[in-house]
Amino acid sequence: MSKETDGAGGVEDARSSEGVARLLHPVDTLLAILILCIVAWLYYETTQFEEVSDLLTQNIPPQMFPRILLVIVALLALVMPFEHILLKRKGKDIDKDRRAPVKRIAWVTMAALVAIIIAEQWLGTLLTMVAVCLVIPLLWGERRLRFVLPFAVFFPLCVAFLFSVVLGVYFDPGVAGVSIR
Amino acid sequence: MEAVAEGLGLLLDPFNIALILGGVVIGVLVGALPGLSSPMAIALLIPFTIQFEPVPAISMMAALYCAGTFGGSITAILINAPGAPPAAATALDGYPMAKKGEPGRALGLATVSSVTGGVFSLIVFIFAAPLLASVALEFRPQEYFALAVFALSMLASMSGRSSLRNLISGAVGVLIGTIGLHLTTGVERFTFDIPELEEGINFVPVLIGLFALGEMLNQSQVLDKAFERIRATATKLPSIKELKELKFTILRSSVLGTFIGILPAEGSTVAAIMGYNEAKRWSKKKEEFGSGTPEGIVGPEAANNAAAGGAMVPTLALGIPGSGSTALILAALIMHGFRPGPYLINETPEFIYAIFGAMLVANLGFLVIGLVGAKFFSLVTFVPSRLLWPAVFVFSMVGSYAYGASMFDVWVMLISGIVGFLMMRHGFSPAPLVMGLILGKLVEETFSQAMIIHDNNFFRLFESPIVLLFFALTLLSLSSPLWALFRDRRRAAKEAT
Repeated sequence: MSKETDGAGGVEDARSSEGVARLLHPVDTLLAILILCIVAWLYYETTQFEEVSDLLTQNIPPQMFPRILLVIVALLALVMPFEHILLKRKGKDIDKDRRAPVKRIAWVTMAALVAIIIAEQWLGTLLTMVAVCLVIPLLWGERRLRFVLPFAVFFPLCVAFLFSVVLGVYFDPGVAGVSIR
Repeated sequence: MEAVAEGLGLLLDPFNIALILGGVVIGVLVGALPGLSSPMAIALLIPFTIQFEPVPAISMMAALYCAGTFGGSITAILINAPGAPPAAATALDGYPMAKKGEPGRALGLATVSSVTGGVFSLIVFIFAAPLLASVALEFRPQEYFALAVFALSMLASMSGRSSLRNLISGAVGVLIGTIGLHLTTGVERFTFDIPELEEGINFVPVLIGLFALGEMLNQSQVLDKAFERIRATATKLPSIKELKELKFTILRSSVLGTFIGILPAEGSTVAAIMGYNEAKRWSKKKEEFGSGTPEGIVGPEAANNAAAGGAMVPTLALGIPGSGSTALILAALIMHGFRPGPYLINETPEFIYAIFGAMLVANLGFLVIGLVGAKFFSLVTFVPSRLLWPAVFVFSMVGSYAYGASMFDVWVMLISGIVGFLMMRHGFSPAPLVMGLILGKLVEETFSQAMIIHDNNFFRLFESPIVLLFFALTLLSLSSPLWALFRDRRRAAKEAT
């Protein structure tokens, strides 16, 4: 008898946990947790703002407005895991763009851009532009060097001319010392 | 009258005309290229035009905005890939018509209805903006605060997949706006001991990162996407008989588009979808929609171009952006040292007339392009993505750097782009974040002033009927997704019985 009760309870537990799982969108739940963690951290940061006298703040302390915003973001984030139910009824698919994982090429592009921007201090602005125009097309599978090479040389030169000579923007020559001016 | 003459004088400078026409050409090109968008081009244009006088700079952006909305229809009709989101509805009937062997007719209908919608909204703009500004002159901080909150709440009904995510993005944008020294006390907020953050986050790199780099990373995943192209023929102007048949659809969409454009945060995409739906609802040949009916082309095209002019009304008269693109124009105005709003119109009316003229020239400019050069502009889709997007990144990098000559801004652009790309995957659009970022300062300033005026009693703000009205509208706007759901369910239940 007790076994039967346990079994029924087990089925009920399983059903209720299934129901909760259906209510909560797994990816959005994780996103909401991430947002709440960031909100908590930023809220803590507001407690570290410098203290100022009430006379100066006129009862509107510098932390007041950011805190209101953080609370609003937190409240909205709490609804996020359940939003898929409403969206489904409206015929909207929130998972449309994220069903397939981010392709490797997007991560590689991000890493390449970060590396090139780090290298800017040595390369200087002009050579950094050349590097972008050379590396990204090759990374993306463009093998027609008759297009890539002239593009990597002439396009950055035109942009540098426009900004540096025409608009008077100072470009860092870098360690290599390459500059159009 | 003096202001009109002065505005036209500013506009007719050959350098300004050249910039406006340049803006039209760039706009049509950007609009025609799938992936590139008007907000992205405007963001990239800000550092370039910051060196110019305000009138030519803003005129160029306004022209680009108008032309970009039209440009999207070229590729929507010829390759079934809308170059810009507002043209998505045009593809529904434009592409089938082109496929039936009438691409020239489809382009002609799109061009004529776009120009009609655009010019109609400009006429409304020139009368409505000063009127609205004169009303707004009476606004005190509490009314302005309520208006800004209402504008932010409109993000809930902005196009995008999720109202909730739009609101989160908007709030995050306002939060980013609080980074730096607090205006009244000088206290550092969220600066994390980084000296560059003391003056706050610069708009330009964030905008460029979100719109340009975010999309570049997105496009890196679809490099081999192929489009079925329909060979463009010469654009064919619609006959007088055809125009007579379509006049009510064009007029209805123009009115609807202008009205939607004037609403804060609603842009051309919403207008185009509603223009298409209304054209279908009023049509006697509903069953022909989706198979290349002229009403399905002129409905969304007149509406989305009318929304472009309409969106300039709250942007210039109230300092509240009417759409994502106008939020960027607003950012540019702020960078040129203006405080957009009623005082701008009252103190420098010639500026508004110059912008009006620029947008009119832009409409006439893309009429010529649509009639003569659509065939040529459709060729831009042959530019290989593998070279196009690195070129966009170079502009993004230099554009972010140019404003403050600081590599810190390039890093801000890079981080914004990567975060923006990941956000987009999860249904967060960049436009609400930008709106929040731009409105942030206004919201905080007016909130603080209103609270000080009312002895820190929030409820005393409601003593003003205008505040009450805006907060009621805010509630309506926030509950609009629930209302829409309720309406759909009732309709479904009705249909079932």
